[in-house]
Amino acid sequence: MAPARAAGRAGAAAALALLWLLVCAPRNAGSRLLTVADLFDRVIRHSGRIHSLSTALYAELEKHFPPRDNELGKPARKCHTSGMLTPNGKEYAQKIPREELTHLILKLLQAWKEPLSHFNQHIEHHQELPDDSLSKAKQISNMVHELKTGVEKVTEKMQSMGIISNSLNGMASSEATGLSISNEANMMSDSDFIHCFRRDSNKVQSYLKILKCRIMPESSC
Amino acid sequence: MTPFLQVMVCSGDGAHTGCTTLIIDLCGKQGIQIYPKSAKGCTDLLRWPQISTCRSPELETFSCYWTDGNFYNLTAPGTIQLLYMKRNDEDWKECPDYITAGENSCYFNTSYTSIWIPYCVKLANKDEVFDEKCFSVDEIVLPDPPVHLNWTLLNTSQTGIHGDIQVRWDPPPTADVQKGWITLEYELQYKEVNETKWKELEPRLSTMVPLYSLKMGRDYEIRVRSRQRTSEKFGEFSEVLYVSFSQTGIEFVHCAEEIEFPWFLVVIFGACGLAVTVIFILLSKQPRIKMLIFPPVPVPKIKGIDPDLLKKGKLDEVNSILASHDSYKSQLYNDDLWVEFIELDIEDPDEKNRVSDTDRLLSEGHLKSHSCLGAKDDDSGRASCCEPDIPETDFSASDTCDAISDIDQFKKGTEKEEDLLCLDRRDNDESLPTLANTDTQRPHTSTQSQNSQPWPPFADSIDLASPSVHTQLSNQNSLTNTDFYAQVSDITPAGSVVLSPGQKSKVGRAKCEGCTRQNFTMDSAYFCEADVKKCIAVTSHEEYEPHVQEQSCNEDAYFTAESLTTTGVNLGTSTAETPNSEMPVPDYTSIHIVHSPQGLVLNATAVPVPDKEFNVSCGYVSTDQLNKIMP
Repeated sequence: MAPARAAGRAGAAAALALLWLLVCAPRNAGSRLLTVADLFDRVIRHSGRIHSLSTALYAELEKHFPPRDNELGKPARKCHTSGMLTPNGKEYAQKIPREELTHLILKLLQAWKEPLSHFNQHIEHHQELPDDSLSKAKQISNMVHELKTGVEKVTEKMQSMGIISNSLNGMASSEATGLSISNEANMMSDSDFIHCFRRDSNKVQSYLKILKCRIMPESSC
Repeated sequence: MTPFLQVMVCSGDGAHTGCTTLIIDLCGKQGIQIYPKSAKGCTDLLRWPQISTCRSPELETFSCYWTDGNFYNLTAPGTIQLLYMKRNDEDWKECPDYITAGENSCYFNTSYTSIWIPYCVKLANKDEVFDEKCFSVDEIVLPDPPVHLNWTLLNTSQTGIHGDIQVRWDPPPTADVQKGWITLEYELQYKEVNETKWKELEPRLSTMVPLYSLKMGRDYEIRVRSRQRTSEKFGEFSEVLYVSFSQTGIEFVHCAEEIEFPWFLVVIFGACGLAVTVIFILLSKQPRIKMLIFPPVPVPKIKGIDPDLLKKGKLDEVNSILASHDSYKSQLYNDDLWVEFIELDIEDPDEKNRVSDTDRLLSEGHLKSHSCLGAKDDDSGRASCCEPDIPETDFSASDTCDAISDIDQFKKGTEKEEDLLCLDRRDNDESLPTLANTDTQRPHTSTQSQNSQPWPPFADSIDLASPSVHTQLSNQNSLTNTDFYAQVSDITPAGSVVLSPGQKSKVGRAKCEGCTRQNFTMDSAYFCEADVKKCIAVTSHEEYEPHVQEQSCNEDAYFTAESLTTTGVNLGTSTAETPNSEMPVPDYTSIHIVHSPQGLVLNATAVPVPDKEFNVSCGYVSTDQLNKIMP
């Protein structure tokens, strides 16, 4: 998946550019909004790449570790983030306050930071996995970290511009949540783990899109 | 076939009883399968109800579809239900909507749909479960086809045969692409109307695509389908868009065949033209064109020497030519470094021995100026050396050709001119300095050029001296015939033969330049060892006292070109001897080696070898070595 890898690297560059833009954004109010939209675009693209990578990695893991025979039964997968209350539809995502949506995004990203690094260390011992998969996993881990940083910056910008209120000081709580969740993550199998992450990366991407739509004043979100 | 049971089932009341035979396959693909046994064999499979697919077109709702199977007809018909359960639920719930999505379907609207949550649906009737499936809604996204396909003409080619169009469409109306809830990719396929295979373009995110270079005489069909960005399955194809250029009123050319570049014709005609041109040139009488395109292959020949001359034995003529060559050369060597070698015709050695050199030399009374003799010979490679319009047989005309200035020729001239030179020098002191100067200047160029090429153009140092010598010689014609040149005393590297006088010259040569003349300033001068020896031998018999820069010349002084060049002051000082005219001069009359094109090496009858360092074999020594030899 060389294009995905290249896309990952481009995503890293995009994150850096995003940070640069955040720092050097012009003071003009009118262009500030555009800048925020631009930042959102970059973050959304980054999350899209993460989702693509995780989809590809899941497919590879499925190939190497065939799924259980009991396909008809209930899925045994139980992701460690399942306990999080997240909007499960477009309408819900549109209804909840923007601050809460932003917070949820950050919470999700935080919840996956640690388990991903554990996962990376874990699968390096897998001899039968191709190097491609290992590199993908490593890339995903890095990109999630970058995405979290990017979303934090966007949040700060929105708060500074007054788009959202400053009630988002619950970063500490999200950290705590992340720690408690990570224990469960270690129990899962590799492909289930990636399946869970893939789903959550899709969530993050969708939430970011909705959030961007809601921030734009003229949109009908 | 797997183990099976065969049963007969009869139904109906007594009067009308129908029986069929069924085959029960205990190990079928989906568990126990019952086949009606018929004459056709086992083709009539009893199909169980199955969930065929569940799809969500826009990530907001989803539907599930199943197939009935033909089980109904044989057993008591029951109602098939679709039950679903979310991950968090405790029990199964029934499908909320059986109608909206059509028959044998179940539609879940937005309120029942939760993305990112695992669902399980199962198809069952009261007693048994026919099929079960688990999925998550974000995994089953299969978008609707795009709508509102249309095309516009971008531009046409100049010939009017090809054109570009732009195809546009709208995303499926159900998908909320605007808010970005779902991102779609589109794939366009097109083909000519009468073709069978569709051409595909790569999936892209934009809703417009240009199609380039469509044939305007043909009609095309276009269709588009979409998929969610991160999934692999495409949705259904849109309606086919027909593209027909005639409808737009554009004039197009009915071309049955495409006009292609007639490569075949070009090649054929090109080859023919080339052949005709070549034949024309070959047969052309124009020598210029012919020479231009097919330049004559140079045959090694001496300019001015007609091989026929040599063959006929007219050595007198040859000698005269050579002599005149030398003298005339003197005027030109300042400008020109190209020299021609004179290769003596050794096919007639008897001839050489027959006629003494002296006679030959004496026959020439004075130096002649000559023109480029090579022009006489068309086949000679040297013809290119000369300008084409040089008169062929005018030897006395001014030589517009490059002067032939080699040591040999000068030597030849100087053989007779030795006396003249000496006389000249004696008489004209001023000439000698010039001679000396020019000599010192020239060696570098001459010898260097000598070494670099096998057929080296070189201006002998002596050539430098020639101008002055020439004038001197011409003035001193009367003094030429005092010496008797009967022996070849030297062969210069250039190949010219230097004859030595058999007797001492009566004319005083106060300022002859012999081997004393030159110091070995020529760095890269290579001289035949034998020549060097000869020079040494010669100088040992010199009758004059060579000085460093004096132009003292013994009476018997004869100098070869070599002696002029090689024998330097060093030589002179050591071999200072009183003029000894009585000393026998080695008689160089037999040809030892022919160093073509360097010249001849004549054997000396008795050649004292002053220096034992050198081998007898005629190798080539550098000037420095020569300097060492000659103390």
